[in-house]
Amino acid sequence: MRSARAGGTTGRTLASDTWWICWRELKRLWRQRVRILMTIIQPVIWLTLMGNMFQRMASIPGFPARSYLDYMAPGVITMVTLFSGIFGGITIVWDRRFGYLQKLLAAPISRTAIVTGKMLAIAVQTAAQALIIFGLARAMGVGFAAGALGVPVLILLAVLLSQVFAGLSLTLGALLTSHEALMAVVNFLTMPLMFTSNAMMPLDMMPPWLARVALLNPLSYGINPMRALFLRGWEWAGLSRGVAVLAVTAVAMAALASAMFRRSIA
Amino acid sequence: MSVAEAIVQTDKLTKRYAGGILAVDQVSFEVPAGTIFGFLGPNGAGKTTTIMMLTTLIKPTSGRAVVCGRDVVASPDLVRLDLGYVSQDVAVDENLTGWENLYLQARLYHLPAETLRPRIEELLKTVELDEHARRLVSTYSGGMRKRLDIAAGLIHRPRLLFLDEPTLGLDIQTRTRIWEYIRRLRDEHGLTVFLTTHYMEEADNLCDLVAIMDHGRIVALDSPAGLKARLGGDVITLEMGAPGPRDGLAESMRSLPMVKSAEQGSNGIVRLVTHDGDRAIPSVLEFLGSKGIRVSSVTLKRPSLDDVFLHFTGRQLRENDGGADYRRMAMAVRRARR
Ligand SMILES: Nc1ncnc2c1ncn2[C@@H]1O[C@H](COP(=O)(O)OP(=O)(O)OP(=O)(O)O)[C@@H](O)[C@H]1O
Ligand SMILES: [Mg+2]
Repeated sequence: MRSARAGGTTGRTLASDTWWICWRELKRLWRQRVRILMTIIQPVIWLTLMGNMFQRMASIPGFPARSYLDYMAPGVITMVTLFSGIFGGITIVWDRRFGYLQKLLAAPISRTAIVTGKMLAIAVQTAAQALIIFGLARAMGVGFAAGALGVPVLILLAVLLSQVFAGLSLTLGALLTSHEALMAVVNFLTMPLMFTSNAMMPLDMMPPWLARVALLNPLSYGINPMRALFLRGWEWAGLSRGVAVLAVTAVAMAALASAMFRRSIA
Repeated sequence: MSVAEAIVQTDKLTKRYAGGILAVDQVSFEVPAGTIFGFLGPNGAGKTTTIMMLTTLIKPTSGRAVVCGRDVVASPDLVRLDLGYVSQDVAVDENLTGWENLYLQARLYHLPAETLRPRIEELLKTVELDEHARRLVSTYSGGMRKRLDIAAGLIHRPRLLFLDEPTLGLDIQTRTRIWEYIRRLRDEHGLTVFLTTHYMEEADNLCDLVAIMDHGRIVALDSPAGLKARLGGDVITLEMGAPGPRDGLAESMRSLPMVKSAEQGSNGIVRLVTHDGDRAIPSVLEFLGSKGIRVSSVTLKRPSLDDVFLHFTGRQLRENDGGADYRRMAMAVRRARR
């Protein structure tokens, strides 16, 4: 007979183990809050500069926003989310390297919790970052068509997006056990992910091949509905499609990460 | 030792790593409950690999291991509940305080909320970190980190504690203090301690039983005294007061109790090999006294575990290579300091 406590994979221990793994990550993030804040401030500076530089772009006929700044604000949220998600999983390689992972593995906790706990921490981090950027953007005069009720939806989109990339980076972290290799792959991925999405440029201003690629890029499914919330308000079709695609992808990535991780420690 | 009281039992336990290295080669042994059991061997002997199999961290290639009554492959979750593991790397989270490290560990072992705080306080006192508990571990010294790590391994009151090189690279004082904790844990809580070391001194001082491991095999397993006895015994050297050779002295001493062999050098010095040097000396002196021979000096030399190691493996244990230890410890700490 396996007791619930010893089984380690029952719902209750998975939930509590996930929370305690997350607690550890959040403690660290809190102690590094200045660094995290810098990761927000930097894109906001960008946003301001680009808002000035590309202001003329907004007057191109067909450009979908009042100002480039309005257009870019959701793009910046997405970019910060992408970075938080994709670099978030790297902690697992450090844990492996300095022996902490073994300590976790010798404990009677659910293996899955190591993955879900880290993902949860990334979700919390992303929610906080998205809120701060949103606040700064509003302070800089960026409009938000969806109104107050749109804010939690905006955060939800950012969190779902972060989970997709957190799952990706944890999967890579399970496959590549060297920190250097993982950093190289992650760095190699981020820029193409950014530029093959509609974060910087509307889909219908892209060459057709790029627009097709952008439709396969999960980032686009976050930015489109976010941008709608900022510029036009509630567009249910696009919003539900975005949430659905991201939620399914996030769950799939979490499952993949967890499977790869279990395989790597077997 | 009977099978019933063995807390660890292995049968032809083997690990071959991907790449072909045979790290542990058909090892069979038992650890009786309540003992301090030492794995002694040079770098690369397979000590850590054995511990990782016993703590369910890696799967054996073949063979079996039963830890705390459960098979490590069949029911790893149950085995984990009963054992504490302090790895060779100093695995503490330096972004947390000392207290938080123990708190997290307690949560991961599902300790009930009401026992958690007193347990943490008690352990912090045991390892003398209570005054530094609220400091970030990144400000701790190597020895403090190691002590915290050991405390973390004890948080759930395991029946069996694995300590992989608990005193690697620590100064003599800290090392002695860690030995004291380990002894006290065994005496007060009946804890079984399974440790690895490549310090002869440590195995000799601390362990009830020592297994000597070399190239993935156990070449000898016994109490430290028993291992030394297998080398033949203690050597007593006698110098006589009065000058001149004494014919037949060595021969006549061979019949004394506990004396295994006796030889007399041309300089008149007598060398005796005995079972138990301490007890042999009085009777040897009495015998010489009855013959009217005055003894000017007696020396007793017992074989060290160093000699034991040399005897069983044909190689010197690199015990004195403190520089290498220090480098390894520094490496572990550096790795920990991101
Ligand atoms: N993950 C691994 N993959 C391949 N080979 C390994 C791995 N870990 C250890 N080995 C090899 O297995 C052998 C035994 O290593 P192990 O770490 O068990 O030795 P040890 O007795 O603990 O040594 P030390 O005193 O240096 O800690 C060594 O030859 C080592 O190179
Ligand atoms: Mg080792």
